[in-house]
Amino acid sequence: MTSVPKDFGGKAAAKKNKTGFFRQLGKQWQLALMSVPMLLYVFLFNYFPLWGWRNAFLDIANERGTLIPFLSGQTPAWYGFKNFTNLFSANAITFQETLRNTIAMSLINLVLGTVSAIILAVLLNEVRNRKFKRTVQTVTYLPHFLSMIIVVGMAKIIFDSSDITPGPINELLLTSGLVKKGPNWLGEEKYFWWLVGVINVWKEVGWGTIIYISAMTGIDPCLYEAASIDGAGRFQRILHVTLPGIRSTFMILLIMNIGHLLDTGFEIQYLLKSSGTMHVAYTVDLYVMEYGTQTLDIGLGTAAGIFKSLVAIILLTGANFIAKRLGEDSLL
Amino acid sequence: MKKLCAALLTMALILSLVPAVFAEGTPEPITLTVFRGDPGDQPTEDNKIYKLIEEKFGVKFNFSFLTGDLDETLGIKIVGKDYPDLFDGGNSADLIINGGALINLLDYVSPEKTPRLWAHIEPQKARLIEKDANGNDVLYIIPNYGLADGDQIANSVGGPAFFIQKQVLEWDNYPQIKTADEYFDLLERFLDANPTDENGTPYTGFAILCEDWRHFCLINPVQHLMGRPNDGEVLIDVNDPDFHTETFIDKPYAKAYYKKLNDAYHAGLIDRNTFTMTFDQYIAALSNGTVLGMFDQAWDFGTATSALLDAQKYDRTYAALGLVYDEEDIEGVEMPSADWKIEEHYLNGSLPNVRRGFGISTTCPCPERIVAMWEEMMSDEWQLIFNWGIEGEDYYIDDEGRLQMTREQYNQTQDAAWKLANKAEAFTQSSPKKQGYILNDIQVGDKVVKAGNCWEVANQPEIVFGLMNDYDKEFLAGYGYQKFADFVNPPIELAPYGEAWQIDYTPVNTAHDNFLKVQDIRLPELIMCDESEFDAKWDAFVSEIKPYADEFGAYMQEAVVKEAHKVLDNQ
Repeated sequence: MTSVPKDFGGKAAAKKNKTGFFRQLGKQWQLALMSVPMLLYVFLFNYFPLWGWRNAFLDIANERGTLIPFLSGQTPAWYGFKNFTNLFSANAITFQETLRNTIAMSLINLVLGTVSAIILAVLLNEVRNRKFKRTVQTVTYLPHFLSMIIVVGMAKIIFDSSDITPGPINELLLTSGLVKKGPNWLGEEKYFWWLVGVINVWKEVGWGTIIYISAMTGIDPCLYEAASIDGAGRFQRILHVTLPGIRSTFMILLIMNIGHLLDTGFEIQYLLKSSGTMHVAYTVDLYVMEYGTQTLDIGLGTAAGIFKSLVAIILLTGANFIAKRLGEDSLL
Repeated sequence: MKKLCAALLTMALILSLVPAVFAEGTPEPITLTVFRGDPGDQPTEDNKIYKLIEEKFGVKFNFSFLTGDLDETLGIKIVGKDYPDLFDGGNSADLIINGGALINLLDYVSPEKTPRLWAHIEPQKARLIEKDANGNDVLYIIPNYGLADGDQIANSVGGPAFFIQKQVLEWDNYPQIKTADEYFDLLERFLDANPTDENGTPYTGFAILCEDWRHFCLINPVQHLMGRPNDGEVLIDVNDPDFHTETFIDKPYAKAYYKKLNDAYHAGLIDRNTFTMTFDQYIAALSNGTVLGMFDQAWDFGTATSALLDAQKYDRTYAALGLVYDEEDIEGVEMPSADWKIEEHYLNGSLPNVRRGFGISTTCPCPERIVAMWEEMMSDEWQLIFNWGIEGEDYYIDDEGRLQMTREQYNQTQDAAWKLANKAEAFTQSSPKKQGYILNDIQVGDKVVKAGNCWEVANQPEIVFGLMNDYDKEFLAGYGYQKFADFVNPPIELAPYGEAWQIDYTPVNTAHDNFLKVQDIRLPELIMCDESEFDAKWDAFVSEIKPYADEFGAYMQEAVVKEAHKVLDNQ
């Protein structure tokens, strides 16, 4: 894994001789040529849009009536960091709230998603009947392909909290006598994050197991044999062979997911929110849409986007640093 | 050989000129791109009305309809300068106008060039023609609705009202319900006596839809209870020469209504899932016939009404009531003005649907041709085709010169699939059109349509009363009424500023957005909170919304006065 073929330009080769880089490039011009489309793609879609970041420093809509000059192509006035300070000024939903919601829902999704995926992967790994294994795998990852609006629509029916015509969950709770009054799943703040987490697990758990199962197939069978000869039972084999075997995969996925911590999304919250849950439902992305796009305050929206990117970079490098310290392969 | 070639070439040249010479009757074909700011369906390929348009004007349409969020879609079009030829901005036309996407129609519309269009807008031109930043007269959109000929027709309540299932009124022996208290009291009594319908499905007393922009069902009623027609989110004193304007939701007189809703909630009239309901769920509940009452606008739940009629649940369809506060509700409460009188007015005078409908975009290659086409289409003959269809096929003219439809002909106009093949609604709904009464006799073939008929099928008295089901006829007889509009007072004169919900609030977008958001979040809380907490929660709501309400209210005050003076000064 760690040894890189010399010709492919390891770090050491590049450091040794500064002119070596170009010599190597000449040698590998076919490879370089092949990477051009991807470089172009990255430049066009990842770097070029950064030009739009200047909007964060322009006075586009906050002053009355200056919307029109922007749309007609005139350059709006320089605004300094005012968009960033406005970001943290009072709105009915504050940016601080959206940050909190985003991180909270991300963490819940991350923990629930990872734990459930690993548990399911371990269970599947232990199943010997191939047909059963395949069926379970297929059934669990199919919801991944459903669109979010269908999933949320189903969730809204299942968790319908009506007093008069309750949904299946509340019906069950009421008829079993566990509660006197069904919980208001969709309308109360305290359930919202968990509901999002549960829906996400249902939708993505099968998909999440794929990578772990493939990591498990890479574990040397000799280790299992050795363990069982040493007297390890099934649970001990899981604990001492399977889980350590997928540790590096787990770390890499964790680092990548932490980079996406602020990307908890938009669809599920947008579709599931209602008047009672707005304070916990708004994520940074929803905030950008509401106060950036819909009210056409593009400067404010961009400022929020930049802020989000900065936080993501800090989180990613932080997680990478910690992983390095823990002696794991780091991603960067 | 050379000569032959030359001869052939000449022939070809001459032949290619021929159509140009003889083509005056059928102009060069063109396909116009059309965007509609609301969802809709593509007409069929062989739609007969579009075929007529193509034959006469050589114009084909390429429609696209709104699929996502309106403001976002328009924003993207504006930023990318990707305009359709005919551009309908729906409820957010202000965006495309402010974004410079539309041409000034006054360059093409004038008494000389387009006498029909001019006659159409002339009576309301004080409202329609605006001043741009340089002080020039501009007109971007000829309204799609609201420029009617003759007296105002009001057969039914098409807009906001408190609705109630007809069976509830029938059950109580046709009572006169005039106040909010009487309304909720009746609902409660009915619910006590009939907790479920005949299938055992429980009734919901009062539903409040508050999904997205349809939250007007939650936030608008107070102005009506105070005796004003729909002005959006502000209450305006029309008797005040300065048009005193204020947001009403944060005022003491609004508290009484939400207290009533709180009481209704605790009495079991309101189901708590009403605040998480989507529009589809709401329509499904209404269509089931198990929702006894709600505040809404009639057009908003039209699909539910049709479903109820289809299922022949006539007694579950709704009657519109005009409710107001009674003395007790507002006793000792500060009113917008010292001499404020509450008198029920749900129906407002007709007004042009300013800035709603098609505009022509700046990238359209042939604005002149479109305007000329509209001008021709404003003729009585074309308007008859658009509204009623083809004589003998879609309607008939009786011996008295009245426009009539057989039951069969009428039924097909209610069939969505039929309409896509036989009506040009995607185009006509957003185009200038005649409404109200037909003022002149129209020759159709060898028959004459006499003046006094209605342009719109839905308004024609013969259609309205002939098609009323027996239940409705009996129901109205129970009240001694002729039509459903008799439940409310006749339309009042339109205020000079029009209806304030039409006013563009782009400059205070953020404040307005926050103003709505606080209501979205807090009002359901208020309705569901414990009775003992209500007062404290109300005060907290008022102080939370105050900064946004103040900013939005101040802007609206200014805008209403400005709007009113446009008309007052032009008279």
